[in-house]
Amino acid sequence: MKDILTIIFRLTVACLLAGLVMGVAFIATNKAKKHNIHVNEQKVMLSLLGYSAKNPAPETVAMHEVYRYLVGEGEDLAMGYLLPLRDGSFSFLTIDLAGTFVAQAPVAITAEKVAEAEERTSAIGAAIGAGKAIRYADQTIVVTNNGKRTAYLLPGRFPGFKTFISAILALDPNFSILGLEIMEHEEDPGLGGEIVQNYFKKQFKGKPLETVKKLEVVKTPLPEEYRKALEADKSGLGAEEVAGIQGQYKDNDIYALTGATISSRSVTNGVKAMVKKFAYRLAILDRVLVEQHIATSF
Amino acid sequence: MATDKTNLQLVVNGILNENPIFRLVLSMCPAVGISTTVMNGFMLGIAVLFVQVCSSCTISLFKNVIHPRIRIPTYTLTIATWVTVIDMVLAAYLPEAYAKMGIFIKLIVAFAIITMRLEMFASKESVNASFWDGIGMGLGFMLGMMALGFVRELLGMGTLLGYDVLGFKPMLFFVLPLAGFFCVGLMMAFFNYIEIVYKRAKRA
Repeated sequence: MKDILTIIFRLTVACLLAGLVMGVAFIATNKAKKHNIHVNEQKVMLSLLGYSAKNPAPETVAMHEVYRYLVGEGEDLAMGYLLPLRDGSFSFLTIDLAGTFVAQAPVAITAEKVAEAEERTSAIGAAIGAGKAIRYADQTIVVTNNGKRTAYLLPGRFPGFKTFISAILALDPNFSILGLEIMEHEEDPGLGGEIVQNYFKKQFKGKPLETVKKLEVVKTPLPEEYRKALEADKSGLGAEEVAGIQGQYKDNDIYALTGATISSRSVTNGVKAMVKKFAYRLAILDRVLVEQHIATSF
Repeated sequence: MATDKTNLQLVVNGILNENPIFRLVLSMCPAVGISTTVMNGFMLGIAVLFVQVCSSCTISLFKNVIHPRIRIPTYTLTIATWVTVIDMVLAAYLPEAYAKMGIFIKLIVAFAIITMRLEMFASKESVNASFWDGIGMGLGFMLGMMALGFVRELLGMGTLLGYDVLGFKPMLFFVLPLAGFFCVGLMMAFFNYIEIVYKRAKRA
């Protein structure tokens, strides 16, 4: 009996100590970590659009964040979009699952605070009234140049081999893929971890919506000329040649990574689902925006 | 029962006499799965070195208050804590290094080599000796992984540290996990052979 008590006591103390150490480390590092992630995301988004430090985005380019929520009222489920309006204010638009307009409510939130998840949730909650449960689903960034839409950026998560893979996908206005960047993953290094390599992720570039809709993974080896085009930074191929070869392969399936078919398939299916769902939802959203004469900033 | 070895002997012991991969044959999962390139081996080695040293010192410090019946949960808790803390600190202050090492660090929680060193060494020895033993084991693991990575990268992809040195790929087979077993086995035999030759020469 005495042993049981000492064991319980010591293990509890050990757990408390471990929890304390981890908690302190979390508090001390969380802000810096979030900041790093944010800075990195911005950099990746600009690079997906073709801008870099040498070639900065012109002033006319603007990014408009649209946050999508699931709105539940009793048994009914609907989609909610937090939209930036042309006059700088925000509005929460609810559309039911059949695609018909339900409600629109102005949201009192500033452009600085809209990036904070908690501020956003409480502002939306206040705008649509009590009795409705909202759950954050995802965000989309609509990129405009001189007021014309030039691209969509979709940060997303999909299941990988072990845990979730998070990625950012860039689409042009016709939903062709502009680029894919893997942000975070826990695939096995050397095997599934190769999904971050150019010769894999650049295979998605330039694929039109129709191809993406039925995209599969093939286990045939990657053709040598295609690899050279995908790794243009290593092989030193000119931009025109790369574009030529990529154009030639743009309707092909994705070549799997050696020894990592599951990871290859996860990314392919994840991208496929993201593009398909986004194209479907955006068509509904755009139709409702026109019908209701809502002037969004994008 | 304090060890009678000097600090340097403890480090050398980890690299040669009790090399985690070739002599103790522990942590075979990462050795086989991840040692596909020299860089991967190096990254995982660095990560293991840090966690091993931190955990060894912690356990050595608290060895008298750990109840013998709950040693293993306490070790696991210690390792998990250090892995988490190192992961968070790297992500916050060294984002560039984290981008490369992040995936390796999270793998370490379940490594046999660390638990085994805590049980065999740190739970009996002084903090100072445990520190040097941790350094030795970490270096031994790192060098073993890099040696494996050297062979597998060269034969499998024809590259070293990402640079193309052969210009062709001799045997793609070496990159796959299965080849890891062959490599570990053959290199183990090679090191045993050297040891036998060395002992014979010494006797003669």
